[in-house]
Amino acid sequence: MLLNPGSPNNWGQSDVTPASFGVQDPEFTQYELSAFSLMRLGASGDLLEYDKTPNNMYTRVTPGAGAALVTPNADALNYSKALTLLGIKGTYGFQLSLTPDVTVSVSETHSCSPLTLSLTATGASFPFANAEVNYCLFLVTLGSTPAQYPSYELLNGTTFTDTQGKASVTFSTVTDPSEVYAFIAYARLDGVVGVGYHTRTSESDQYLVPVVQDIGSQTIVLAHSYDLNNSNAPTASLKYNATFVISTQDYTLSELSLGSGSGTYGYIMSGIGNPVENVTLPTCTTGILILTYQESASLGGVIIMPWGISALGFPVNFGGNPSQQEWVATDLRQVMIGDVAYQAKLSLWSTKAVQVTG
Amino acid sequence: MRTVEVLMVIIILTGAFIATSYFAVLPWPRQVSPLDLGRLSLTTLETLNSGNDLSEAAFETGNATAWENLQIAISASLPPNIIYNLTVYNVNSGGGGDTLYTAENSVSNAANLGISSEASSYLVSSSNVTFNPTPQKIGETASGGGGITLYILNCSDSDGWWITGYNAQSLAGDLYNLLSPYFAKTVVIQNTAQFGELLNGTPLHGESLQNAVIINTCGEAVPIPAVFNTSPYSNDGYAQYCYLLGQRVNQYNWTWTSIVGYPFYYVTNTGVFTGANDQNGWGIFGMKCVGQAGLNSFLRGLNGESYVTDTVGWITLGGGNNPESEQVIISPATQALMNYYGIYPSIYQTATRAVPSTIEGSYSLVAESSVFTPKVDGGKTWLAGSTFAHVDNTGSIHGKLIPVGLTRSTDIRITALAILSYYQPRIYSSDFNSYDTSRLVVLQLGLVGGT
Repeated sequence: MLLNPGSPNNWGQSDVTPASFGVQDPEFTQYELSAFSLMRLGASGDLLEYDKTPNNMYTRVTPGAGAALVTPNADALNYSKALTLLGIKGTYGFQLSLTPDVTVSVSETHSCSPLTLSLTATGASFPFANAEVNYCLFLVTLGSTPAQYPSYELLNGTTFTDTQGKASVTFSTVTDPSEVYAFIAYARLDGVVGVGYHTRTSESDQYLVPVVQDIGSQTIVLAHSYDLNNSNAPTASLKYNATFVISTQDYTLSELSLGSGSGTYGYIMSGIGNPVENVTLPTCTTGILILTYQESASLGGVIIMPWGISALGFPVNFGGNPSQQEWVATDLRQVMIGDVAYQAKLSLWSTKAVQVTG
Repeated sequence: MRTVEVLMVIIILTGAFIATSYFAVLPWPRQVSPLDLGRLSLTTLETLNSGNDLSEAAFETGNATAWENLQIAISASLPPNIIYNLTVYNVNSGGGGDTLYTAENSVSNAANLGISSEASSYLVSSSNVTFNPTPQKIGETASGGGGITLYILNCSDSDGWWITGYNAQSLAGDLYNLLSPYFAKTVVIQNTAQFGELLNGTPLHGESLQNAVIINTCGEAVPIPAVFNTSPYSNDGYAQYCYLLGQRVNQYNWTWTSIVGYPFYYVTNTGVFTGANDQNGWGIFGMKCVGQAGLNSFLRGLNGESYVTDTVGWITLGGGNNPESEQVIISPATQALMNYYGIYPSIYQTATRAVPSTIEGSYSLVAESSVFTPKVDGGKTWLAGSTFAHVDNTGSIHGKLIPVGLTRSTDIRITALAILSYYQPRIYSSDFNSYDTSRLVVLQLGLVGGT
């Protein structure tokens, strides 16, 4: 399945149910996997209900605070279907686990004047020392009048990790401890690339969630938190500003204009009958959707969503549970998803009765 | 008594089975289904070289920093229970009994890898070496046969039609870049006077006239030199000039390429056609309409027939009783050639002036290659982007015509593909194993505690 894109080979970027299963990137040979096909695999995560779209059930994958990928269950390829497509249903089970080779964790060590962020990059068995770190701070300015939308500034920079795989970056221009930001960092050394992120938001029960409404048309609905999980929402509004950034060849983040949709900024209103806002993402590339929002002049936040599973180094776990099986064959490969290095672990077991001695 | 015997046999057999099972040594699960360390090794090498860093380190064996970083990257990407040894070998010339590979440098995280390790090798090239593909010149043979000439009609004193959005000069530049590497000589014909010399059999730069390929970048119009702006060439609305072109294509075994639309539908010379009504009916001056007689007369000339005033009429799509247009698809064979030559137009195109296969029988033509899969419609088979060779009764080829037959605006890459798919020149790769340009990297993996 790692060396076969499936059929049709672009099924990861459409709504169709594939006729055969595979997750290889159709534009490459060898172990390059499609960040989009992996996004369509039925993920394990929190179920989420959003009634303002035709697909009303979603799964939310949230490996860390400040980032989320919410995909429609209607478009997801589930484990049972994958077994059928592979022709092993009833005879074998499998689990595909994809874990980034390098974990980059980011924490805030000083909130302002200057803002100081600490990074730790760790490989599978070793600190990721001497790695070049390309980072980007997405600094948000909340609109001070009702007519103003949140705006932002991109600050790119480079540093290196020390022998312990640690690095520290400071931003002296951040002087307000409540200033909203998103920070994204790529650590790379000799072809091995890891990605990490951190966000800071104001405390509020109102926030914005990007919901992938339709993978085929790349439509992302901007959902108000009050509208989620059939919460009988009161009417409330958030101003938003949407930006799509891609990683360039030198791992700096660059803005890419968003396609058709409601626009890159506007209002979202909770409550039944209020219209939904959406943005359309490009099909050609993986990237990160950055959404800033604000409830008032002092309350706001930012949430980031990967477009393509690798854009923020999200892990993937798809398939059955090998821990409940008696004899599991496991194999490992190094794979690339987008520009990010992952370790792919494929576990396979027989579902027929077996007896193992030894 | 028998019952006792049977019971004793059962007890003995059961005891033997239990004793055998107890002492039998069955393989460990990981021996039956071991981790494929060879594939893990290869994929790790591919990952390390995804940014060309492994290649650089392999040629910088004295650079301690580069090798330290390489070791960190290997350790970061392999699971903790896997031990490794990475060795770089220089690829020697192998002559005079020398060793083919010489170890240059090595890193490892274990004194030895046990007895059941696995390895993969990966050949990397030096960043100081450029591997240039070398195209074969069309017409060159191993026995010393010379290559042929490419003529691109880039006449400054002519105009174009159905090349909307472009001009003949920009198309000529694109064609030059796409095709000149495959020809022994490429001559860009700058004006109709030079074209006249060519039609009179005079090379412009000492090139070989015979077997040349001529690409008309003026679309449906064809440049006409001033010397041919006279009778008999101007007869029948310049149809007899088109007849002359057919004769010359036959005489010199040229390959005439019409890049778009109806071939020979107009003649153009902005220095000669200067009258108030010298326009093609659509406001393009310096041009006169020949009509469908142009192509029919050309084909008669190509086929060695005597000239007669055309009575055949419209033969392509888009006129007569023929269908208006066809969506045509690049054939699977041509799609393979697209990968070979690195030319990627859209595989779906619209043909509005494709020629019917009936011209094969009418003018002794054979469609020897075709960019697009033929379409059958209206009782005829329509051929777009085909190369028609004129074959005489001895089987010899005397002239070829490539009427691309697509609608405007033209995609010049289709023309390039049509020519390349007929001649199919080879592309020779550089020698990847040449001395001092390649190094072999071997990554050997073992399991901690492995036997």
